[in-house]
Amino acid sequence: MKRIFVIGYAALLLASVSYAQDSTPAPPPVEPQVPGQQPGASRSTPPGQAVVPVPVPIAPPKPNGPVQKSLVRITATSVEPDYRAPWNAGGLQRGVGAGFVISGNRIMTNAHVVANSRYITVERDGDPNKYPATVQFIANDCDLALITVAAPDFFKNMLPLKFGGIPALESTVSAYGYPIGGERMSVTTGIVSRIDFQLYTHSSVDQHLAIQISAQINPGNSGGPVMQDGKVVGVAFQGYSGDVAQGVAYMIPTPVMNRFLKDISNGHYDEYPDLAITYAKLQNPAQRKFLGLKDDDRGVLVSSVIPGGPSDGILRSGDVLLAIDGHPIASDANVELEGERAQFEEVVERKFKGDSVKFDMLRNKQPTTATIKLYKPWPYSVQGHSYDVRPRYVLYGGLLFQPLNLDMLEAYRTTDLRLRHFFEYFILEQIYLQHPDVIVLSNILPDPINTYLAPYRGAIVDEVNGKKVRTLDELAETFAHAPDQLVIRMIGDGPPLVLDRTKVEAARERIKARYNVAKEQNLEERPGSGAPAQANKI
Amino acid sequence: MLKRSLIAFGIILVAAGGTLAKKEPAVSASASKQKQLALVRVNVTGQSYDYFRPWQKKAPFSKRALGAVLSKGRVLVTADLVTNQNYVELERAESGEKTAANVQVIDYEANLALLEPAEKTFLDGITPLEITPDTVVGDRLAAWQLEPTGALLATEGLVTTVQMMPYPIDVGQFLTYRVSIPMQYRENSYTVPLVKNNKLAGLLLRYDSRSQLLDAIPAPIITHFLKEAESQQYRGFPSAGFSFFPTRDPELREFAEEKGKGGGVYVTNVEPGTPAMKAGLQVGDVVTAVGNHEIDQNGNYVDPLYGKIEFTNLLTAHAYAGDVVPFHIQRNSKPMQLNVTLEHRDAKDYVSPPYYLDQPPRYYVLGGLIFQELSRQYLKEWGANWQREAPQRLVYFDHFQSELFPERNRRIVILSQVLPANSTIGYDDLAYLTVTKVNGRGIKSLDDLAEAVKHPIEGFIKIETEEDPKQIELDATQVAAEAPELQENYGISSLQRLQ
Repeated sequence: MKRIFVIGYAALLLASVSYAQDSTPAPPPVEPQVPGQQPGASRSTPPGQAVVPVPVPIAPPKPNGPVQKSLVRITATSVEPDYRAPWNAGGLQRGVGAGFVISGNRIMTNAHVVANSRYITVERDGDPNKYPATVQFIANDCDLALITVAAPDFFKNMLPLKFGGIPALESTVSAYGYPIGGERMSVTTGIVSRIDFQLYTHSSVDQHLAIQISAQINPGNSGGPVMQDGKVVGVAFQGYSGDVAQGVAYMIPTPVMNRFLKDISNGHYDEYPDLAITYAKLQNPAQRKFLGLKDDDRGVLVSSVIPGGPSDGILRSGDVLLAIDGHPIASDANVELEGERAQFEEVVERKFKGDSVKFDMLRNKQPTTATIKLYKPWPYSVQGHSYDVRPRYVLYGGLLFQPLNLDMLEAYRTTDLRLRHFFEYFILEQIYLQHPDVIVLSNILPDPINTYLAPYRGAIVDEVNGKKVRTLDELAETFAHAPDQLVIRMIGDGPPLVLDRTKVEAARERIKARYNVAKEQNLEERPGSGAPAQANKI
Repeated sequence: MLKRSLIAFGIILVAAGGTLAKKEPAVSASASKQKQLALVRVNVTGQSYDYFRPWQKKAPFSKRALGAVLSKGRVLVTADLVTNQNYVELERAESGEKTAANVQVIDYEANLALLEPAEKTFLDGITPLEITPDTVVGDRLAAWQLEPTGALLATEGLVTTVQMMPYPIDVGQFLTYRVSIPMQYRENSYTVPLVKNNKLAGLLLRYDSRSQLLDAIPAPIITHFLKEAESQQYRGFPSAGFSFFPTRDPELREFAEEKGKGGGVYVTNVEPGTPAMKAGLQVGDVVTAVGNHEIDQNGNYVDPLYGKIEFTNLLTAHAYAGDVVPFHIQRNSKPMQLNVTLEHRDAKDYVSPPYYLDQPPRYYVLGGLIFQELSRQYLKEWGANWQREAPQRLVYFDHFQSELFPERNRRIVILSQVLPANSTIGYDDLAYLTVTKVNGRGIKSLDDLAEAVKHPIEGFIKIETEEDPKQIELDATQVAAEAPELQENYGISSLQRLQ
């Protein structure tokens, strides 16, 4: 399920931390002693934190066994793309997380532990060696990854862990990992506090089932198993920093883990499909009567159907969804699955690209059914974080053009009202239909040819020489075959931006040399993939 | 195009404390014959409207300030001071004698107001201040405040800049003096006159105590206001209705077919229905002169007093609504002249009015749903930082209103909040939704809404919104039946105010 961007919603969630990654405001999770960090990031042991009373751990009913034989410590060196100087490789970062061995000589961990990584090593208990590892599969939308070690003997004495189910509320669980506070494995214990849909902050656009636990979890716990009765019941992955909420940590539950493993069983990760609709609960008696509903607490109202998404042409705004694959949908949008109440999207969550979902519904008070073939609509990716991709950009005459997306917006910390609106309503106002790429003149590298152009910074390109420009590729194409005079119209009431091709050509090498620009454009997200960014039909 | 930087909005100089010991000034016989200061104290109590509870007013405030006594028994203050007033009182500084006063004329955009005492003889014996319009950079101005005793406290400062700046009600820019001055805190310092050679040179607009910079409403704006105030009906400062951009960029100049080194500004937008559009000004024109004043590439003309200053001064301080101002333009490199008949643009002529003062906000309560019309006044309810704190979608609508709603002749009706009630169960979390239709009828004002509500569909009132959930229904009978209880529970004196 995708989160539809809601104003004012972000503040709370941005404060949650992705463990093992260098994200604020958590104390640096990077290994303290590692020399040669990037400048300015001198790492030392985190400042002494206020001593808080530690809850007395309740002894688990059954021991979890020798978890040391399954647990690994993962050190990943990553390169974070620099959206403000996208031609640069980006900054080096090093993070520590945990992982655990599962069947098939594989190690499961969080996507955020290994995302953007260039080099990964794993260590195991009682073995002085560091083993190089490689990423097999990464699922940034549900923050899970599989890595493996090539060394033949590595898995010999390791015990693959088995998955359990969803632990009961109030039952005790233990989290294993390598959090700050020492080098060796750490165990903390807590209880299951809540089972609910949560935003997964790694992508910051996806919501899935997550389990809140009261075990102390800190940077470095990420990717570690949370155990009960000798089985994995979750992967520790995110929580709130101490100044927002205390003792609130989340783990990825086994339905999400199992789904990931099933998705990749064909050798490729297809990501979560989505209905691409928004809906409203139907709790108002008058509204229920108006829609012809019985007084039976069932049904949700379809608010928006995203054009080009899987439900486009099948569902309509105003439809009432009564059941999904035979599970009755309550008026608060919950269904009952295996004895647990969950939001009805959980049914979609457990499906794969190409699967179908069937709705019983009411349209104009008449009962009908609809079957929707699922896939992932692309526009959501603009509103989430991207990993293992190179920023796309075009530099022309010292003017840097970039497509609007979350990473770019955060890099510039923009407060521009128009940019923020285009970002937040990219999907709900269907901006993507006119502007698959919202092309922003994000920065200007000063040169005599652009000295008067500073006021255009932050503007969105609408058309060049009278022709609408929809994508960055089209813009690059226009520049590549530019006429003598380029007249770039921006969205809004501003003046046109006029460039003289001959002067721009003359300045190219000068600008490249002065600002150490290796490459004037990058149009492909994945080097060498050659696939256009928006290959899907939407 | 350029974002204007502001210093602290307005000024409230708080009394530094201490006792107000009565000290009779030692007045000698000769001193008593001295001219009495042309200052009176102005005491204002008022109440702002509460846009979050639009049926009520906020708790009363009171402000103590100074007024400059002008000829014909008038007292000049800032509009800020007397906005949303319930009662205004004048007080003689030396005797403490008081009288009620009326607001004669008020101009929120220029932040000026004229008061007249109820008792005509109240100002007798005071020699009114004359106005000196010739202040220039480098002049020294005295800020006049009063000691608790009624004695004058004069602080001198240096005029460092004269330029166009935004005023608190951010409608266009006006001529402003910037003065470097170490102001002292005194009671009654809300409106502070600035004086040169015992003549009024300006009125305090805002003061930043850290940088010790004071912005003042200058005499030319005051004079304009006073002259307009003489007329039968006060119309306010004129505007032309277009936006512009400098022509410094050689590529833009070439595009606009501006040859040579000539000046002028590039017209980027002409708003429909404004004087500029009526006169035929077009996007892409280059305005090279207004009246007899040539405009340079940055949009400045050479003022005989101040030197280079933005040409919009010619359309505000120097011109009146109804004036015909010749615009010299270049269109496709041909010179042309357009005669622009300037008009004042009233706040109500905006889709989202930039201010809405001294009048109660309009609203409509329907079964716990509160409907209001978007205005900047409503957004300002989020406080000084409203541009960041208020709902961003509404700020976006307000900011880009001329672009988003070119038809102009409408309001944006919003479902601003929901009061929990039986009829609104399940709707409690809705807020800041844009209403498009009610009962199938298009909604472009609260009046439209009030009319549409009278025509339920099969007993239901259907409200359609631009944002999710897209539709909300109420039971018309239930809404009517529960109205008294809703009023009682939430203390709503009246369920609607459309006037």
